Amino acid sequence: MDTVARFDEQRLFHSTGRGHGAGLDPVDGLGLRPAPLAGYRDLARLRYDFPLVLVAAGPAGGEVRSLSAVIDGVLREVAPRGLEGERLRRHVLRLEREIRALAAGGTRSTLGELWTQASQRLASPQDPSVQQVLSGIGDKLDLDGWVVDCDGGMPADVVTHLWQAAQRRKGASFRRAVDRLVVRLSDILRAAFDRSAAGRQPDTLRATLGGAYRDAFDFGALSKLLVRNVPQDELAPARRQRIEWARDVLQSQPFHVDERLPAPPGAPAQLAFRFTDCASAVEAYRARLPRLAEVVKAIAIAELEADGRYVEAKDDPFFAHFDESALSPEDLALFPDYLVCIPAGENDAPRNAGLMDMLSSGLPVKVLVETTDLVEEAAAGTGHFAFGVRAARLANTATGLGGVYVVQAAASNLYAMRERIGRAFEHRGAGLLSVYVGTGAPAVLPPYLLCAAAMESRAFPAFAYDPHAGTTQAARFVLADNPQPEADWPVAPLDYADEAMQRVRQEVPFTVADFLLCDRRYAPHFARVPRERWNDAMVPADEWLALDAKRAADRVPYVLAVDGDDVLQRVVVDAKLMQAVVCTRTFWHRLQEQGGIHNSHAAILVARERAQWEAAAKAAQAAVQGAPAAQPSGAAVPQEAAAAPAAGDAPAPDAPARDPDVAWIETARCPSCNECQTINDRMFKYDANKQAYIADLKAGTYRQLVEAAESCQVAIIHPGKPWNPDEPGLDELLERAKPFR
Amino acid sequence: MTMPVTQCLIRLHEEHHQLEDYQGGVPRWCSGCGDNAILTAVQRLCRDEGLAPERTVFVSGIGCSSRFPHYMKTYGFHGIHGRAFPIAQGVKMARPDLAVFVNTGDGDCCSIGAAHWIHAIRYNMNLTAILHDNQVYGLTKKQASPTSPIGTKSNTTPRGSYLQALNPLTVTLGVTNVSFVAQAVDWIPELLYDIVRKAYLHRGFSFVRILQRCPEWLPKQFEPWLHDPGKTLLLTHRDGLAVPPALARTYRNQVEHDPTDLDRAREIASSTDPIPVGILYHNPAVPCYEDVHGVGEVRTAEQVRRGLEAEFDKVTVWPQGGDGARAAA
Ligand SMILES: Cc1ncc(C[n+]2csc(CCOP(=O)(O)OP(=O)(O)O)c2C)c(N)n1
Ligand code: SF4
Ligand code: SF4
Ligand SMILES: [Mg+2]
Repeated sequence: MDTVARFDEQRLFHSTGRGHGAGLDPVDGLGLRPAPLAGYRDLARLRYDFPLVLVAAGPAGGEVRSLSAVIDGVLREVAPRGLEGERLRRHVLRLEREIRALAAGGTRSTLGELWTQASQRLASPQDPSVQQVLSGIGDKLDLDGWVVDCDGGMPADVVTHLWQAAQRRKGASFRRAVDRLVVRLSDILRAAFDRSAAGRQPDTLRATLGGAYRDAFDFGALSKLLVRNVPQDELAPARRQRIEWARDVLQSQPFHVDERLPAPPGAPAQLAFRFTDCASAVEAYRARLPRLAEVVKAIAIAELEADGRYVEAKDDPFFAHFDESALSPEDLALFPDYLVCIPAGENDAPRNAGLMDMLSSGLPVKVLVETTDLVEEAAAGTGHFAFGVRAARLANTATGLGGVYVVQAAASNLYAMRERIGRAFEHRGAGLLSVYVGTGAPAVLPPYLLCAAAMESRAFPAFAYDPHAGTTQAARFVLADNPQPEADWPVAPLDYADEAMQRVRQEVPFTVADFLLCDRRYAPHFARVPRERWNDAMVPADEWLALDAKRAADRVPYVLAVDGDDVLQRVVVDAKLMQAVVCTRTFWHRLQEQGGIHNSHAAILVARERAQWEAAAKAAQAAVQGAPAAQPSGAAVPQEAAAAPAAGDAPAPDAPARDPDVAWIETARCPSCNECQTINDRMFKYDANKQAYIADLKAGTYRQLVEAAESCQVAIIHPGKPWNPDEPGLDELLERAKPFR
Repeated sequence: MTMPVTQCLIRLHEEHHQLEDYQGGVPRWCSGCGDNAILTAVQRLCRDEGLAPERTVFVSGIGCSSRFPHYMKTYGFHGIHGRAFPIAQGVKMARPDLAVFVNTGDGDCCSIGAAHWIHAIRYNMNLTAILHDNQVYGLTKKQASPTSPIGTKSNTTPRGSYLQALNPLTVTLGVTNVSFVAQAVDWIPELLYDIVRKAYLHRGFSFVRILQRCPEWLPKQFEPWLHDPGKTLLLTHRDGLAVPPALARTYRNQVEHDPTDLDRAREIASSTDPIPVGILYHNPAVPCYEDVHGVGEVRTAEQVRRGLEAEFDKVTVWPQGGDGARAAA
């Protein structure tokens, strides 16, 4: 009876969100966290993806590595198996923990710096060798770079780092190609100079000879000799002008400048391609477009000239009208990508209003948009919650534009998705990177965990859309970065000890209700139920969702949490919040369909096919039972088909019989040895493949025909019968012709 | 990098060549010489693959067969005896955009040039090497070559040669980094063409040994094979040769051979009777030297000049009292 009364209180709380009190404790202040997160209390003691090292130099330059991966690499190098290795390993792992704590505490520095700091902190007066050992190992690190933890600035740092690496690669290959063209154009000019009168003046000739024998020659006399009959300039003026123009444009192109080299005087300044708002990026892009078109034109002209394929009559008119309207996405792809990292909180700034227009116009620009808080009340003022709706709308709209590369991810997942993000910079055209950073929520968790929880709970699912990956939506849209993408919610085993201290394992889902438990603003929608009041009418939130309305009304949903002492708690969830859970699940289902998981059209089709197939099978069975002498199904194969030999085994059919009286050559077998044409080149000729045939039988005698047959190395000339019965000596010739008939 | 615009314009003005466009000087080979068939096959290849004459180079050593570049209206380099491969490699290194072929004889390749041959295989540069194997020194009037079958009577071996012939196929198949090996015979022009074409299309060092008749010095050498098609074994495969039906009627001795199977390739290659014809081995995955070695650098005229000066300085004999002391130091 008592139980019933308690359940009524719980039900009242569930449907109204009111009635905290006896047996329904407010959660605020209890320090609860979802039970699946029980093990992640002190992140600094855990080895996980963060912090990251943005590798600056060395063979891995441009990569993003996790600190743990770097440390593992070092350990593989320096720590031998066995006791000594074990000691080293322990020291280095302590150092890793120290670096992790420094980064989490907000220290921004390079790995080398942090390594030094951390090893100083670990130094102990008892054992001075520790610091020595650790800094010795630090010297063996073959990489360095900024260390970033999972905080608000991290996404922009990581994206910028990957973008820079892609630009460096692109720039290097662009410059190599352009430098080669410049050299080839210069070679043309130089060769023309060498052959001109100017190139054969005494001073020029002297300069071409090495030092030792310079005095032994009379360059004046040599020049007089060589200058005779040389053209003034073997390059036509128009061509020279064209080549010089292209060379100059290429030498001064400002798009890919090698920043490693000291800029020579007059060299173009490196342009900036990273911006913090959309309008500036678009303005810069438009302002530079004419110059870019000029460089494209110069490259095309240089390529044609270098290959000697420039045809003035055809190419001049084409290039006369060449401007930015002629540029294709492939042309643009050779130039740097623009990057816009919109600072958190400025998504709605007027200078970013053009974001969608910019993406849809296919500009070579990649935009990072950060979402700091997923909580928004639905605009209609219904009082219902919506999560990540704006970010979802943004990413979805961008996906709908067709040509935009889209990645949506929580910050915690950027390391795992680094290759996908890197690939965005190989995509020609626009790209959108939408990242949840979780810094705007008054959360009980550090940003890394909050972000991970947002993704686990489907509140901010990860997805990627690559418009050029394959022809089907399933190939282009990837949901695989989410945990258990086929399920409604990811389920993980939770191990705990019960009252009798027995180990219990339970499969626990991670729903959006679990995620919201981490956000203090939602505390009023939860109530902790003390253990003595637990009852059978309480069901886990995911199971509750599966109930029909009537049964659901008799139950209350709960989620499992742990308190500060890691004691397992049940927390009931009110109806309003459960509605938000349903919304999130609906939205997740839509994403699943886009990614080819549980596709409803496919399901309908499969059901229809199955019904038809079953009906047909039934009918066939009925027919078989009706027929008195049923045959086994295999015998339905037509007999002729079964008897036909495989095509490959068929012997090659014999050639159609030839009239032995008609002269001919097996042309396809002729190895072009010339013999027959040496005898008579009007009777025998070559076809387009340079193989002999009889072009004109009457252009020669039967004797010549027989002689050719005799001298043909491969015996493919067949003389047939003589066309002129009056030719002398025919009897003897016919006898000689016999072997070739 | 080639701009889409350039590609588009080039396609727009694409020139189409006829066989005659590739015909250089009139061949001075003896009439009936098998080299003619090879020349025709290669000219057909150039025409059908649209190789621009100014972007194609034939490099050779010394011998009848090495006169090949003179008969092609493309760029050519008639080199010195046995050194066709290093010259071709140099050309390819400096101008990877050119199609580079090597024509070499059995003396040129397997005798004086053997060391270069082995390393050319190992370097696996993107070249098409054609070995004109007439089993004799033709140009110098009949001396035994390394590929002359034992007992071959020649001016250097009047009582018949004493050594077993070297098999260029098994040698090539035994070298590290081998990536394409095929055998053709000059007297089956259709297959000769097809094999040379497959060799050209392979990216890497393609080695085609062509058994070539020398009617001048060894007129009877291949007679048994000319008269009995059953003594030729055609290697067929989905990724290898497709034998035209008309030819299949004559050459019925066929076996399916998977060109990725190196062991089987070596086994087949060691047969001299029947003569295997087709693609013995093909592995497109072997890296090309020009891809793994840093040839990406751009060499300006100035750098080339400095490099050459430095090389020449090493062997320069300096006049007494001149700058010699400095250079020799
Ligand atoms: C360094 C050097 N040694 C020797 C010769 C003489 N020589 C000219 S051609 C030749 C043999 C060519 O035989 P092969 O390569 O089989 O060509 P073929 O004439 O048979 O096509 C020789 C030894 C030479 N030209 N140079
Ligand atoms: S003689 Fe025979 S092989 Fe020579 S060209 Fe004439 S037909 Fe061809
Ligand atoms: S000697 Fe032999 S290889 Fe040389 S051209 Fe004459 S037939 Fe051909
Ligand atoms: Mg020879």
